[in-house]
Amino acid sequence: MRKFEELNHYEIFEISINASAFEIRQAYKEALSIYGDDSPISYSFFPQEESKEILNRIEEAFSTLIDQEKRELYNKMLVREKKIDPSSLTKKREKVPTPLFSSKTPGGAAISKTIMKRIKDKNLKKAEEVILSKDMISGDDLKQLRKTVGIKIEDLFEVTRISVSILKAIENDDFGTLPPAVYLKNFLKTYAELFEVDPKKIVDGYIKNLNHIKGTS
Amino acid sequence: MTHIFAVGGGKGGTGKSFISANLGVMLAKQGKKVVVVDLDLGAPNLHTMMGIDNLKTGLNNFLNNSVKDLSLTAVPTKIPNLYIISSIRCSLEVGNLFYAQKQKIIRAISQLPTDYVVLDLGAGTNYNTLDFFLASHQGLSVFTPEPTSIQNSVQFIKAVYLRKLKHILKQHAFATAVKEVGDESDDGVVRSPLDIVDSVMRSDPARAKLLQKELRKLRFKLILNQYRKHMDETLGNKIEKVCNRHFYSQFQFLGNIAYNERVCESIIARKIFVAKYPYTRTSTDLKNLANKMTGRNVQAPIIKETNAKV
Repeated sequence: MRKFEELNHYEIFEISINASAFEIRQAYKEALSIYGDDSPISYSFFPQEESKEILNRIEEAFSTLIDQEKRELYNKMLVREKKIDPSSLTKKREKVPTPLFSSKTPGGAAISKTIMKRIKDKNLKKAEEVILSKDMISGDDLKQLRKTVGIKIEDLFEVTRISVSILKAIENDDFGTLPPAVYLKNFLKTYAELFEVDPKKIVDGYIKNLNHIKGTS
Repeated sequence: MTHIFAVGGGKGGTGKSFISANLGVMLAKQGKKVVVVDLDLGAPNLHTMMGIDNLKTGLNNFLNNSVKDLSLTAVPTKIPNLYIISSIRCSLEVGNLFYAQKQKIIRAISQLPTDYVVLDLGAGTNYNTLDFFLASHQGLSVFTPEPTSIQNSVQFIKAVYLRKLKHILKQHAFATAVKEVGDESDDGVVRSPLDIVDSVMRSDPARAKLLQKELRKLRFKLILNQYRKHMDETLGNKIEKVCNRHFYSQFQFLGNIAYNERVCESIIARKIFVAKYPYTRTSTDLKNLANKMTGRNVQAPIIKETNAKV
């Protein structure tokens, strides 16, 4: 057993060095369900400061590993400090079937809470004004909104439970794969409400833009 | 030699006596000779749980020397192969056992002529409970999914761990190490057993190795009782994971025991639950538990059989 402070990011999540983004997400979820704020386990095991410290370590590890650039830099540092074997980085991942839904890793609630907090903490006033000043709102405008907060499309899925493919279609104005209008309106509403912009304006603007593209093409 | 199981866990009301009694039955049903011993000294009620009244002998006879051999104080139950040693007739002050008496009981228990002994321990973390727990081959810590119970269970594990740690340090003349830590921490109170290990590690890596090896021999089994549907079924596994990560001892989660309203009913009726309701989820869980503890689960046919009864 080693102390938590001595573990590297991969050891914290108990994943291999070439773990996929999906595996990292699953491991993060699992870790939050153990060490998160509302977990009875963390509460029983550690004094408050210590559990906070552990949680910070987990957040840091996740934000590093999930970002491709940061992860590469981090790997390079590990190699430089001789903490990992450089050959293990190039090793091919064994292909295993990806579970669609994993009932064994609850902790979705904890994950969406941290995402919501990130959105709340960000000042979106400017981005909102830009988007609301437009008559027609494209998927790209919505994407900009998301990018301002700095969250990924998978994070949106965690909070809204709108599938990633639909979210992608919305952001790319890909009307071929967009769901029927009734559903689309509701999805847009959820999207807008998440970022606290007027949902009615977003829905109207988006539909208008969509009809415009359809008319021109 | 007999194999001793101790059923403990910090909080009261988590089902230690319930599990002791029913585990005893399940082990006896494996065809083994089993004695359950009520070591919840001062608050004994294992006999009630098993529907036995009018006890003529018990631990008291052994403690006051009227019976020399502990096995003679065992009383047969309605289940074949299952015996009970009760402490209901002990004095009201038996909760504050003398050290010599405690040692005498532990020695006698390890010499009982049976296959298995199940010790039903009391709540809390007094030295009697901890030492009985440490005297066992497998220590079971029972908890329920409430945070209060998890908290006390962790507290209990830490207390056992610290007790064991102190034993080891004493045996190997590490006494100075404990004192050093005592001096470092606030008011001379040791905050956490982990601090002691850390301190020894820092000051004396050679002895730290020995310490780690000794601590590793300590094995905890975890049982989650009163498991209700729609709850996180991996809670026990997670606690196991955290324990293995942060302590040097070995932890194994044995499984969930399903909650059942009839448990209360069977206790009121003073009947053993698994005998009264053998075809319930709870009984199957208990059976699996007994199988796991005796290493029987490795046999495929038995798993099949238990699955068929779910």
